[in-house]
This record gives sequence, structure tokens and C-alpha cells, in this order.
Amino acid sequence: MYKLLLCLRYVARRPIGYLAIVGVWLCVSMLIVVTSVMDGFMQKIEVAAKGLFGDVILEPAGQEGLAYYDELIERIRQRVPEVEAGEPFILSYGILRVPGQPHYREPVQVAGIRLPGREKVSDFEKGLHFQRGRPPTWDPPRKLLLERLAEERARTEGMLAEYTTGGKTLGPRQQDLIDRLGVALSLQQRAAFLVQNAEDFREDIQRLQEAARKAEEDGDYEKVDSLLARIDQLKQESFEPPADRVILGLGIQGLSRRTEDGEVIRYLVPGHKVMLYIFPLGRTMSMTDFSPNQQLFSVIDDCRTGVYSIDTGFVYVPLETLQKLNNMEAELDPDDPNKVLRPARCSQIHIRVRKSRADERELNRIAGKIQGVWAEFRKEHPNAAMTEMYVQTWRQRQAKLIGQIESQRVIQIIILAFISVVAVVLIFAILYTISVQKTRDVGVLKALGASGGGVSAVFLGYGAIQGFLGSVLGTATGWLFMRHINDIRDWLSESFGFTPYSREYFLFDELPTEVMPATAAVILAAAMGAGVLGAVIPAVRAAIIQPVEALRYE
Amino acid sequence: MSKADNKPAAVAARGVTKSYKLGRTRLDVLKGVTMDVREGEFLAITGPSGSGKSTLLHLLGLLDRPDAGQVHLHGADVTRLAGRGRNRLRCSQIGFVFQFYHLMPELTVLENAVLPSMVEAGVLRWLAVRKAARQRARQVLQQVGLSERLRHKPKELSGGERQRVAIARALMNRPRLLLADEPTGNLDTKTGRAIVDLLRRCNAEGQTTVMVTHDAALAAAADRVLVLRDGKLAS
Repeated sequence: MYKLLLCLRYVARRPIGYLAIVGVWLCVSMLIVVTSVMDGFMQKIEVAAKGLFGDVILEPAGQEGLAYYDELIERIRQRVPEVEAGEPFILSYGILRVPGQPHYREPVQVAGIRLPGREKVSDFEKGLHFQRGRPPTWDPPRKLLLERLAEERARTEGMLAEYTTGGKTLGPRQQDLIDRLGVALSLQQRAAFLVQNAEDFREDIQRLQEAARKAEEDGDYEKVDSLLARIDQLKQESFEPPADRVILGLGIQGLSRRTEDGEVIRYLVPGHKVMLYIFPLGRTMSMTDFSPNQQLFSVIDDCRTGVYSIDTGFVYVPLETLQKLNNMEAELDPDDPNKVLRPARCSQIHIRVRKSRADERELNRIAGKIQGVWAEFRKEHPNAAMTEMYVQTWRQRQAKLIGQIESQRVIQIIILAFISVVAVVLIFAILYTISVQKTRDVGVLKALGASGGGVSAVFLGYGAIQGFLGSVLGTATGWLFMRHINDIRDWLSESFGFTPYSREYFLFDELPTEVMPATAAVILAAAMGAGVLGAVIPAVRAAIIQPVEALRYE
Repeated sequence: MSKADNKPAAVAARGVTKSYKLGRTRLDVLKGVTMDVREGEFLAITGPSGSGKSTLLHLLGLLDRPDAGQVHLHGADVTRLAGRGRNRLRCSQIGFVFQFYHLMPELTVLENAVLPSMVEAGVLRWLAVRKAARQRARQVLQQVGLSERLRHKPKELSGGERQRVAIARALMNRPRLLLADEPTGNLDTKTGRAIVDLLRRCNAEGQTTVMVTHDAALAAAADRVLVLRDGKLAS
């Protein structure tokens, strides 16, 4: 019991020992922050990759795609019971334009997906804004859209009110932000009007088309021209049918804006239109016939995945529509429309397995089984894919990125481990100093009958308590730092123009804020171990010194 | 004839020798000392500096081992006793008082006094005996006149008070043998006299006491005085 008493008193009454605690504290904080950020990135990649593309991805080597995909998915589901669902996916490239804004053009990646269906293999629906909390579709009820548009408008009005009433101080940027909010509000109001009157516009277009046909029959070409111009104008404003609707990545330049407070101002909302120019990569083509297909789409929603590169560069359209624009649709015999000359194709198949937490080994095994199913399937359908098929787990697909982050993580941990050695040396130096200062105490304790082991336990315990206190403080500080890491980054950026985290480089728009309990536990245990390690030599010295020698020590 | 003459020896040295190496020089500190301390006796060992007084006390208190000869404690030869056995004997049967008090500065007076009981008890037994031990510590501190200073730190006490705390600590486990190494060496004459009086009172209550001092006047307070000179008993 005397060991504990003395340990605690040494901790409380020896100010020099505080230095060791501070040393451990800082090292643990550093390690917690760095490992948490790196682990957080890894976890974000896993969540993002699995959330976006499923657990396993099938992808032919070339751009021409994969045919009979629904049959293949069904075959895989039958043969591989671990597979829960599969969905076709098309990835193409295009240019996004906004009608009425001649200077706006933005390169984007265009994803063709099925709704509903996509939610079976990914967490896509979790990032949707206007259809949040319900199964996503390309044709959500108009009532829902109007409700959500009204909410969005109220939110934008609230932000505008907050800035204009002086609740926020933004300096020279304030007026710009107020202007932008005004523009967004006006656009949102117009969008709500368009959605509200979508049916009327559609009926008007049908009526005018009928009138134009009649005028053409009557030979009144002047009237025909006038009616067609009016039809074009209405088409610009009408709500396109479900096949021609688009979900925008929330982050595409110019379509939304994020304030310094992290609030999003939406300029394009459901009801607005965009034009997509798609480069048809899905078929073999000559060097001269590479001209884009174009299509007008109505915005139906926006999606935020948290992955910077995806949110700023992706738009989502119906799979079948993109098949047409990408020249991947079914090719029918002109003489016999029931005869399919060339089946419709997709770029990838995304698979979700039943155990969503399946580890990499399990996923590899499943991927192997899927590869087997594909080999069999290909014998039956030799033209299903023109090239080799890759069946990859999410980790294999992201191997390059994961490898980069993993190597950075290892290098940083090695550097920090070296720095942490300083903490051990510090504890050692301080404990050694204290043990030398306490040599006579050691002699007294031995004179009182304490064993060498008992006396050494005092010093080991002292080191362990220092390690423990430093670890607890370091973990708490690291945890607090992690919780506010994005605020700290923003503050550094605003105050000093120094941005320690580049969204473009690290893919995600926010730094991870979670501390992994397992990692924290390992660091905590290691720091306590370091405390004990630093105390070993002083403890051994205390254990072996003879009582008389200790009592005579000067 | 002393009152303890007929009692058995509490501790005895039989031809003990002890030497130290100082660099390449060998220093013979004790050269075959034989002596007894009877139970209940107050023995003073005196002699000039370097005569081996403290070394002899350390051998009698099992803090060190003789190069040759034997040490007997209550009739048993403890010369070659293993470390654990020596620790146990030091803890339960021997109390030490040092010239520089050697109190733990981080502990209070009460905690310093109770320390030997904590060392003896171990964790589990301590929980059972804690209350009694603290009561005992209060009792010995009252005995040495420090019942009002229980929560004070050693640095808040005078030299004499510190030495009294050290005596209370030495008496805590009711040792059969109290060894005091120059207990007054760091005190003024008056305080030194008071400390010797305190030791005398303890001895009067039956406490076998061996005091090392170079002060002949203080040594005179003992029942018997042994004089060491050049590692040998002179009287």
C-alpha cells in the first residue's frame, strides 16, 4: 500500500514530474490526431467506395461495355448466395451547360443509374437532398418536390435574413454573399413555379403541337413557325419526363455554393434544366465520327457523397437514357424490331454482399466465385464483353489510393514514434533524477523492511501513473482537437491564409472527426507502457542498491 | 550491575569484521567485534569518527552483512539469512532512528509514522489493519509529544520535532530492538538532550535501545557504554 501512497504523492508533489506528463500528453495528442485522421480517411474511403460502388465491381477492360447484364446479375445472385443485389452502372464523360447561361460549361462525369434500384447496392440515396428519407426515384411526387422546395426557400431566406440583420460579420464578402443568396432565392422561386405548373406546360405543349400540325396541314407556315417557337419556349420551361431527369452532384462549380459556415446555397434545384453533351464512348467509332450527343434534362435532386472529387464532378441520369447518349442502347434489326442485333450494354456491375461488414478476405472469396460465374456465363454469351472482365473488391479497385494513404500513415506514425521516444527518454531522465534524489528514501524504505521489488514498484508505478495521466490528457486533447479539426482548419485558413488541408488532394470535403476507439486504446496502452519503460532503469537501480549504500548516499 | 544483566541477549555480534574498498585501498572498519545487547538494555556505542560505530549498528540492524563473524538476533544466527527474511526481521523487530531523520517529505507526520505498518501489512492486510495502524501511529506520536502535528509536513517541523517523528516511526511496529544512529547529531544540545530523554523513557517502558553517539555526555545517559576505537571495542 505504501507503494501506491508514495507513487501518488510523488506525482502530486514533484513538479519536475509534470514535465514528463506534459511530454506524454503532447505525444499522445499528436498520435491520436494523426492516426485518427489517417484511419478516418481510410474509413471514409471504405464508406465512400462501398457506398458508391458496392462491395464488388465487375468491369470490362474496354469502353464498349457489358451486355446481358441483368441476366448476369440474376445468375450471380443464384450461384453466389452471399450476393444480395447487383445493379448495372454506366460511366461516361460530358459537358454540362445551363440554358440561358452561354458562358457556363463544366466538364463532368456522367453516371447512368437505375432508380429505384441503386439503393440496393449503394448508399446513394443517403446523399439526396430533395428526396431524403424516402426511396429515390426519377419521378418523385410533385407535392413532395414542392414541399421540399418551399423548405429550401425558407432556409435560403433564413440565411439571407441572418446575414442582412447583422447576425454575421463577414467583412467585404458579406455583400457578395447577400447578392448570391438573393440570386439563389429568385432561382428557387422560379423553380417552384415551374414544378407547380409542370402539368399545365405539358398540356400546353401538346395543345400547341396539335395546333402546329393543323396549321401545317392548312399551309399556314407563318403560324407554324410562330407555334413552334412558342413550343420551344415552353419546352425550355417544362418539366422533362422521368427519362430525362438528372441528379446533380452537390459541389459542381457554379451550381451551388458553400459558405464559410458550411451552409450550402443552391442555385439549381428541381424544376431547373441543364443540357448535357455526352461523348459516346460505348461503341467502336472512326476518328471522325466522335461528336457528342446532347440532351436537355430537368434537375430532380442533388446528391452529396462527401467525396470531393465525386461531388464536384458527377451528375446522375437514368441508365437507359445514358445508354442512348453513350451509344450503348440495344441495336434492333430495322426490318424486324423484335430482333436484337446488339444488346444494350452497361459499363460496370456493382454488387452488394449480404454481410455488409464482410472483410477483405471474405470479399475476395466472393469475388472469386463471381469470376467463376462470369467464366461460365461468357461461354453461353461470347459477345457479352469484347474484352477481359475485371472482378474487383472495393479495396482492390481503390488500391492505388489506399496504398498512398497507407504509406503516408505508416511514414507519419514512424516519425511520430521517433518523437514519442523523446517522451520515454524524458520520463527516464526525470525518473532517474528523482530516483537519485530519493536514494536516501530508498534506503529508509529498505531499513523499514521494504523489499527491492517493493521499492522498484514505487518507481514503476510512478512512471505508469505519469504515462496514464499523460495518456488520458493526450487522448482527451486529441479527441477535442479531432472534434473541432475542421473549425481549426477554417480558422487557420481565414486568419492566416494557411490551408493545412487541401480538399482536392485528400478527396474529401471535410477532415475526419472521429477518434477510433481501438487506435486510441493502443496509443493509450503504448504511452502507459512508455511510462513504465522510462521507469525501468531507475526502478532497477532502486531495487539493487544496498540499504547502507542508499542511506549514506550524498 | 545493570538491570538487564540477567536477561538474554536481544542482539549480539560475535567476532564481526567489516571492510570497505575505497578505490584500490581496503579499509578495515570493524576488526573482530564481539558484544551483546541485553533485552531491555539501553546501550550507547561511542567513539571517534571513523571508528566503526555506524557500521556496527548497521550490522546489528541487518542493513549490512559482516565479512566474517556472526550476528545473533534474539538468540538466532541471522548472519546468512536471505534477503526476504532480513526484510521481515527489519520490518517487525527492528526500529531505526537516523541522524538526519530521513522522513519522507511528501508525507504528513501521521503518514510517516504509519509507514512501517504499511510496509509490513501489504495491500490486502492493510485494508484490514488500516484503522488500528492509524490509531497506533497517533498513540506513538502522542508518546513523543506530537499529537498536535499529525497533518503537518516534515518541512514544517523543527529538527527536534522531526527526530521525534522518526522515533515514532521506529516504534510503530513495536520493535524488540531500537537502533539510533547519532540521533542528536543534527540537533542543538538542549534538543539533543530532550531526544535522549525520550529514548530513555522508551527504554524505561522496556524498549531495548542501542544508541550510537560521539557525544560522551549523552552516552552517559545509557545503562552501558561501549567505546569503539579503530574498529575494536576499547571497553
